[in-house]
Amino acid sequence: MLRAENLTKRYRQGEKEVVALQGFTYAFPKGATAVVGPSGSGKTTLLNLLAGFDLPTEGGVFLGETPLHRLPEDERAGVRLRHMGFVFQQWNLIPTLTALENVAFPLLLSGWPQGKRQKRAAEVLEQVGLAHRLHHLPNRLSGGEQQRVALARALALDPGILFADEPTGNLDAESREQVAALLFAQGKARTLILVTHDLELAQRAGRILYLKGGRLLREEVLEVPQGQHL
Amino acid sequence: MEVFLLVLRNLMARPVRSLLTLLGVVVATSSMVLFLSFGEGLRKALFQELSRVGPAIQVVPEGVEGFGFGAFPEITPESFRALEEAGKNLGVRAVIPTLFLTRGGFDPSTSFFFQGLPEGTAPDLLYPGTKSKEGRLLPSARGAVVGAKVAKRSELGLGSPLRLSPRVELRVEGVLEETGGLADNLIFVPLPALQEVLGTRNYSTVLVALNPGQKAEEVARALEGAVPGLKAQTTSEVMRFAERALRISDLVRFGISLVALVVGGLLVANTVMMSVYERIREFGVMRALGAKRGFIFRLVILEALLLALMGGLLGLGVGSLASSAINLYTVDQVGLALSAITPRLALFALGVALTLGLLAGLLPAHNASRIPVVEALGRV
Repeated sequence: MLRAENLTKRYRQGEKEVVALQGFTYAFPKGATAVVGPSGSGKTTLLNLLAGFDLPTEGGVFLGETPLHRLPEDERAGVRLRHMGFVFQQWNLIPTLTALENVAFPLLLSGWPQGKRQKRAAEVLEQVGLAHRLHHLPNRLSGGEQQRVALARALALDPGILFADEPTGNLDAESREQVAALLFAQGKARTLILVTHDLELAQRAGRILYLKGGRLLREEVLEVPQGQHL
Repeated sequence: MEVFLLVLRNLMARPVRSLLTLLGVVVATSSMVLFLSFGEGLRKALFQELSRVGPAIQVVPEGVEGFGFGAFPEITPESFRALEEAGKNLGVRAVIPTLFLTRGGFDPSTSFFFQGLPEGTAPDLLYPGTKSKEGRLLPSARGAVVGAKVAKRSELGLGSPLRLSPRVELRVEGVLEETGGLADNLIFVPLPALQEVLGTRNYSTVLVALNPGQKAEEVARALEGAVPGLKAQTTSEVMRFAERALRISDLVRFGISLVALVVGGLLVANTVMMSVYERIREFGVMRALGAKRGFIFRLVILEALLLALMGGLLGLGVGSLASSAINLYTVDQVGLALSAITPRLALFALGVALTLGLLAGLLPAHNASRIPVVEALGRV
């Protein structure tokens, strides 16, 4: 379980101190949790801290009993590799690698042998409906296809935690629906943390955390999340 | 393998920039290879020639090192006689006085190298394996025997006149067969004729031929002890001296080529630095996915090394072609291949190119691996 305790992040902007996140405490259960809020509410900062991209000014992030915020940079990278998957708004695929190679990349970092990497990457790409696009470079894929490759890459090592930061923000309606359906389907068996300002998308998650001004305003638990029938 | 592919594809994604950088490394490496190949060529030619010289000891005036080609004739007839006497006691086979004269300019085709031989001494005693192609092998008192290359180059044949000074004119009495060695470029003349031209009774070098089983070093030291003011050098001592001189010239030539190498290194550094700058987000994604700093460092350094290796190999190829072209000319003109690409030179060139790549890649690799993930991903 991923847990945040009194998570606080302050930045200095010249002489001024900016509080990006203040005293955020929450334990993320299995299933989908959406984090919503207007721009500047601290959503991105929260995800940066939870994933170990950045370190908090106060408080901490715990993965089980492991204090992520106390680990050195390379060890945090190791934790991300073993336990976390990421889907970003801008897909962030490596442009010189094919879809298959992009998905195989985390497996390469994990030291999987080549044959097993190829097999696993092809398997995950098939799960997201891209079995026919294995050897295409990202610039030969549509936005929706690129986001599905990014999702396949996030799932390659079957992580317990899946982060999605505005995963449908750059997609058309049809692709948005495809990606959302895949994401929530994959989120059922793991902890899915979905950062979005799209309330419609957020309501398909089991829980919604409302952030404003760097503080957690409230948590809403939906009995029957909308769109789960998809 | 994927890491290598990643590096290769990244270089190929920016073909013009990579190609220009590669060309820079090729020019730097090939110029270094060519500069240093002259040292290797000279070394090879010299050692080949020295190993062909018959007499095992060369006696030169003290202070002169090497073969004594350029030495002023300082060995007096008295010193020579003392050497002969000492030689008899040591049981040497022959003691041969000789004199050198160089005429001509910088152009090898108009330069002439004369070696004076005492009466009754044929060139084959000094350069074993030398044979006459036309005419005599042993020149008469007013005759000369000409090496194959010099005969061809200067169109000398039997009966051709050789005017050494207004008073000394010789006629070609023999032309030697080509041996591929130093003798091909020499004109052998009677010693008294050269002494008359130079206005001296002295000699520049005395060659001492040993009997089988005699130890050159021991005889040389004994000769030095017997005749003060002279230095007796064995062939291996001459080789050692030549090696020292060549090393110094190697360093000078390497210093000159260093300018091109530094420019090549800066090109690689610039290309890799630009590539890192353009791929900050990509590195951020890799780090976000779980890549450690070392992985990013290796990725960038590998890019610099790959550029340097490809440039080094191509530079070696271009340098070899240029070396062959130069040899075609020098073999034709002076009968010696003055440039040589030896395995040690090839390894050295590749080593220098890789070191260059490594140095050029260190800073970009360090920067790439230290960018904070949030900054690299633009998530601040």
